[in-house]
Amino acid sequence: MITLIYRGIVAIVVFFIIKNIFQEEKLTLQANATLVIIPLILRLLMIK
Amino acid sequence: MSIELIIFLAMVVTFIAGCFALKLPVSISMVFAAIIGAIVGGYGFPLRHLVEGMFSYVDTVLVITTAMIFMKVVQESGALDALSALIIQKFRKKPALLLCLIMLVIMFPGMITGSSTAAVLSAGSIMAPILMIMGIPVVETACIIAMGGLLGMIAPPVNIPAMIIGGGIDIPFVGFEGPLILLTFPLAFLFVLMFGYKYVKHFDYDEIAPKLNRQSIETHGVKIFIPIFVALILMVINKAVPSIPNLGMPLIFLISAVVGAFTGEKFSPVKVCTESVKSVLPVLGILMGVGMFIQIMTLTGVRGFIVTTCLSLPAGLRYLAMAVAIPLFGAVSSYGSASVLGVPFLLAFLSSNQIITASAISLIASLGDMMPPTALAGIFAAQVVGMDNYTPILKRFIVPSIIIVVWAIGFIILSNSIAPYIVFK
Repeated sequence: MITLIYRGIVAIVVFFIIKNIFQEEKLTLQANATLVIIPLILRLLMIK
Repeated sequence: MSIELIIFLAMVVTFIAGCFALKLPVSISMVFAAIIGAIVGGYGFPLRHLVEGMFSYVDTVLVITTAMIFMKVVQESGALDALSALIIQKFRKKPALLLCLIMLVIMFPGMITGSSTAAVLSAGSIMAPILMIMGIPVVETACIIAMGGLLGMIAPPVNIPAMIIGGGIDIPFVGFEGPLILLTFPLAFLFVLMFGYKYVKHFDYDEIAPKLNRQSIETHGVKIFIPIFVALILMVINKAVPSIPNLGMPLIFLISAVVGAFTGEKFSPVKVCTESVKSVLPVLGILMGVGMFIQIMTLTGVRGFIVTTCLSLPAGLRYLAMAVAIPLFGAVSSYGSASVLGVPFLLAFLSSNQIITASAISLIASLGDMMPPTALAGIFAAQVVGMDNYTPILKRFIVPSIIIVVWAIGFIILSNSIAPYIVFK
């Protein structure tokens, strides 16, 4: 149960980071956000 | 010159060039430094290790993000304004106590998010006008705010440098509350009185009363504080009743944030979440970069080289090296300093109590946020009070910095004697 809840939390965070990537205009800040999102997506999909 | 030193120098030079010559974000500079380190070390482009490094801080990323969402909810719902107004009204006749409580309010966002920037920019910006109206000069106000940010970052429940240092030698973030409280709160009270007491001995409450935002507490009453109480209760309930499963900090912050949506002023949850994620992304990026940087240092043997260098120093010199090197490396990032130098120094003091030592090193690492050229806490504190130049703040910080280092080293020296009384797992 707690694993599912935490996957939900990760999904929420991923959603808002992706939203931020599209709203952000500076390429370096988009790259920064992309960097953060990589491990979260891998965790969300339970790949790692 | 050993190959490890060459790799380390290549990484540091790449990082500095990325930050200052190419003006890249700290996180991206760290990624480049890690890649260059791997190439110089003969490992090519080790994608698996870079991803592995990022995973060191996935839990911390969730804690910081949810904490910032909670902090924004507390701010938007009016609870932070209400708390400030209530404290000033109740303790107006005891200026020393009032200053200490204002310091706690400034520290609060840092305590919750583990970020000095969050404390300076949120509670710091709210309390700055009040401190100045009370008669405290601009520079001293900025010093109080910056110090509140630094000590708030180290105070429990969330201390990211301590988490990073502990993570380096597999110590879970458990039992740190006692040492961190004793390391930070006495210093916070000392510094706020040192900077502000002589100016507020005879302050006039009637002068600042109209400038306090009392609207939210008058509209919603005590229920506006419910989200803060919910967070505090959920944090301690697992310690008091171990049979109740530990929810974890991210879930606690989210539950409290959801409660906060119904107890005060109305706000847009989507907007709050978007702004929160946007404001923490630079810090999250730094953590990812630090993770990669450390992973490549470990892969190439640079970390071991630093550890053995620290371990081989004579005992007295070890304290001096720690007191100088950790804050200096903080010019890069206080988190990076905690990771690159904090872990080796923790290993160097292996005979001391590890929880107290990690806590004390994290306190020294916090000084990195006042170290130019980055000096995040100093720069933001100067901005908040309307100063163009943060140099006067740095000058006022010299004595407090020495006190912080001496206080932290004192804890390390006495750690084994005091551990039974302050470390509760």
